Amino acid sequence: MDAKRNNAKASQPGEGKATQMDGPDLESVIERAKGRDAEALAEIYRLYARRVFGLCRYMLDSRESAEDATSEVFLKLQRSIESYDGSVPFPRWLLRVTGNQCIDALRRRKRGRHVIVEADVGVAVIETASPEPSPLGAVLGAEERAQVRDAIARLPENYRVPLVLRYYGELSYDEIAQQLDLKRDYVAALLFRAKQELRRKLGHWSK
Amino acid sequence: MECYSEEIVSIFVDGELEAKEAQRLRDHLSACRRCRQLLDALRAENRVLSESLQELPEEAASPEGVSPVPRSFAWGDMAIVTAVLALTSVVAFWISELSIPQALRWLDPFSVSGGTNLVLNFSYYFANGGTAMLDEYAAVVGKILLVLLLGGSALLLGRRWRLRQPGLRLLIVLLALSLPGFALERRHSEIVTVRANETVEDTLLASGNIVRVDGVVNGDLLAFGGTVEVRGTIKGDLVSFAKRIVVSGTVEGNIYNCSNSLELDGQLGHSLYALGQSLRVSDRAHVGEGLLVGAGDVSLEGEVTRSVTMFAGNADVSGSVGRELTMAGDNLTLTNTARIGGNLSARVHELKNVHIADGATITGTRDIQVRERPNRFTSPHFYFFQAVWLAAAMLVGWLGLVLFPGFVQASTHAVGSGWRSLGLGFAVLAGVPVAMIVTAITLVGLPASLMLLMVYLAAIYVAKIWVGAFLGQMLLKPTGVTKSDWLLGLLVGLLILTVVRYIPYLGGLVHFGVTCLGLGAFAWQLYRVLRPAITV
Repeated sequence: MDAKRNNAKASQPGEGKATQMDGPDLESVIERAKGRDAEALAEIYRLYARRVFGLCRYMLDSRESAEDATSEVFLKLQRSIESYDGSVPFPRWLLRVTGNQCIDALRRRKRGRHVIVEADVGVAVIETASPEPSPLGAVLGAEERAQVRDAIARLPENYRVPLVLRYYGELSYDEIAQQLDLKRDYVAALLFRAKQELRRKLGHWSK
Repeated sequence: MECYSEEIVSIFVDGELEAKEAQRLRDHLSACRRCRQLLDALRAENRVLSESLQELPEEAASPEGVSPVPRSFAWGDMAIVTAVLALTSVVAFWISELSIPQALRWLDPFSVSGGTNLVLNFSYYFANGGTAMLDEYAAVVGKILLVLLLGGSALLLGRRWRLRQPGLRLLIVLLALSLPGFALERRHSEIVTVRANETVEDTLLASGNIVRVDGVVNGDLLAFGGTVEVRGTIKGDLVSFAKRIVVSGTVEGNIYNCSNSLELDGQLGHSLYALGQSLRVSDRAHVGEGLLVGAGDVSLEGEVTRSVTMFAGNADVSGSVGRELTMAGDNLTLTNTARIGGNLSARVHELKNVHIADGATITGTRDIQVRERPNRFTSPHFYFFQAVWLAAAMLVGWLGLVLFPGFVQASTHAVGSGWRSLGLGFAVLAGVPVAMIVTAITLVGLPASLMLLMVYLAAIYVAKIWVGAFLGQMLLKPTGVTKSDWLLGLLVGLLILTVVRYIPYLGGLVHFGVTCLGLGAFAWQLYRVLRPAITV
């Protein structure tokens, strides 16, 4: 497990993409995984565990639930991979599955169907938000990145979940809306407000 | 033209603006410097977000507003405990030549063979060294408690060392994946059948009153039920928990079996591990490797390629064993047709219970030892273990008193209600194993049933503590009931109980009564404590 952590420490931004295999290579691994080839599944785990765990970690509130969810995703993968048809890139598909798993976990905790309930204030609120601090910018050092991460982790769930799905999982608005059972417009609004809230939290260094 | 709102530009930057709208915005951007600046800023912001998120949130704080959920008894913990349990029991099995068969026979009448057996077996046990049986039984329970302690420590250590890393857990997952035929097919109904022309590709998990396999199972068969019949072929292992199991077909892997009776009439590729009342390996049967059995009656008529180890009340061997035959128990009979390729070693209570026909072939040495029971009173080991046993019981009592003083004293007091405790105790003693098996058969309840088993064994173990303490108090008649009074009473009571236990015949009966009494008092007290919580 230490090796795993070291691995994570050593990796730099963008490294997640760098570890991806070439198209044909990955395709053959996926094909083998569909045939329940344990080695291929292990290879997929090796390639994507970190990314999957990251999404779970941002979406769920504790390291342990994130670990649970990650295990679940890879446990279910040996069956669910059969439904992967190649219409979207595999990492994106996998993160979509992961997102679903996390939302299920959140749902179970809330004992409800919805993780985020659509508030009746709706889309109208958004227009009022313009005079807030300006968007976050500039090239970030490691420390600032950590601050951003920290601020994201402290966002309320209804902002955090869509934000992470979008900017970590790189899911589309439609995919997020479908997963959270919300309207697409509302997802857009939530994302926008989440970013504003983030700016507010980080206000002191964005100026 | 009016400028676009920040939100619309933000959606555009995300690449999510509707095509027509996006085109209009692009047109506007070429003309409006302010909106271009906004666009650049928002793009930069998205980059910041993605970049920051690329790193793992190793140090990310727990988000506010969401209190950490108290973790329930999670699967991971259970896995650790189970692993420790399994390991320890395997080790224990090999270290001592073990009291498990006796202990099992004690449990058995309650579990599978039903009411009639119960009475018959009881009289047999009490007539046939019931005390020894209970003694060994207590040892088994003690060992289980020890294992529980070990499991608990492993659990605590695991938490401290953060063993629950995804890497470790997925290692387990991947290990499981690498087993052939990990995929599972479940079937559950009154009668589960795999027809003769049918092939199950995966591992089959079958539960039902009757499970019958006439066809082929390419993976393992996990069967739970009243009767399990295998007439077809199982390419993997057969793991079964049933009243009666008949294998007349082929099992290419191993058989792991816990049942009232097992009849092997066909071919077995590897080994057979069985616990139960009776085992018959018929003359048509062939076992590719070895046999490890704990059973009341064992009849070995067929052929076993490697060695046979059995703990049995009665063992009849008329078939052939490729290597050693090791036996511990009461009766051993080798007929004229028996062939042992290696050494024969047996441990029995009386030499006259070993019959080896003249025609029997034994290639190696014969080592037949008599385990004499009366000896133990002269051996220092016996007294040492009694002292350890007493100290352990005192320690448990003291711990209980420190942790739950009210409950412990009330339980002690409840022993005084005599018949109620005795009756309730007997009901619990006999009823819980039935409940456990019923829960286990539903399969979903398997973990629950295992937990119940642990509680059950622990309750049996502590039963004598209540009774001992009560007995001591009755004799000493302390003026006030302080902790030290209670402990002193416990010591006196336990000493008396220990001595009484070794009175032949009577001792076993008394010990049984004590167990019932204590269990009843405990159950009653538990009920009283939990009752308000239930009615609320």
